Amino acid sequence: MQAAVSEAAERDRGIVELLRTGGEERAFEELLRRYEGKVYRLCCALLRDRSQAEDAAQESLLRVWKALGRYDGRASLSSWIYAITRNRCLSALERRRTLESLDGLGEEAEPAAPGGGEPYDGRAEQLLALVERLPERLRRSLVLYYYEEYSVSEVALMLGCPEGTVKTALFRARAALTEMLRRRGLDDPAYWREDAP
Amino acid sequence: MTESHDTRTRLGCALDGALERTLRRPQTPATLRARVSAARARPAETDLAAVRARLEGERRQQLEALEADYLRVRRSTLGTLIGVAFAAGAAAAIAMPWLRAHLGDYTPAALTWGGAALGLGMVFFHPARALLRRWADLG
Repeated sequence: MQAAVSEAAERDRGIVELLRTGGEERAFEELLRRYEGKVYRLCCALLRDRSQAEDAAQESLLRVWKALGRYDGRASLSSWIYAITRNRCLSALERRRTLESLDGLGEEAEPAAPGGGEPYDGRAEQLLALVERLPERLRRSLVLYYYEEYSVSEVALMLGCPEGTVKTALFRARAALTEMLRRRGLDDPAYWREDAP
Repeated sequence: MTESHDTRTRLGCALDGALERTLRRPQTPATLRARVSAARARPAETDLAAVRARLEGERRQQLEALEADYLRVRRSTLGTLIGVAFAAGAAAAIAMPWLRAHLGDYTPAALTWGGAALGLGMVFFHPARALLRRWADLG
């Protein structure tokens, strides 16, 4: 784990070095290759709208690229990139709230399902609906945890909080989901098995 | 107690599996990279901070020009008023002997009414002329 972190930090340093030595194109390619997906997934988790997430990811990556020359190395490159992305998403959320209040229609856009593709069956839809009911802080941690394939440290970096906070959020999210399942009579483990009829 | 704990553990495992199948990593749109590259190639259009700074600069210049014009108009108006007041005083002083010879005791009242008529004429002359021009245009 430690080796993977230092390897990632080394690659990040490589991007900054490439930029400083005039290898702009390669630095840009490397930046996109390493962070395009992560930035997009963070935007998806925060904004809950694929189209807005794509716009936000584009603007965030562009901002990162333009500010990369001023990156001072005090924080890790990934933390810095995620902070820019989070700020961009917060602005988008603020703008969305303003537009909704101006519209005055009282109709909130139905949030897109956080799943990556088509739900595998009706149970997935039930589960997604329950995930959507979680408090925002817990939902973000849970969604990113599965998007980032169980990496608590990556989720903590993305959300800009300590790993302990993410672990607590995951624990609470699972507990809340279990409670919701119990209340709805869906707490039979066999019901949630992949091969269940 | 043990059975309940066992059920909870099994539910936790089943839930974890279900979440893993449901919260699948979203595919990064194929267009994202092209969009970022294209936006990078036309910085002038997408650099919102630069656009904002330019527009704010232009607006500041316009405001400064407007304020300078306003001050110039105020200065010229004040100058005109002072000049006209002195000129009127001088004219009245010169004309006073002749007026007194012809009007006698009515001179102060005649001067007052004459000044008032002149002032009101100056106030209403310009708007009246504008109004007449508008009627002429409509006609």
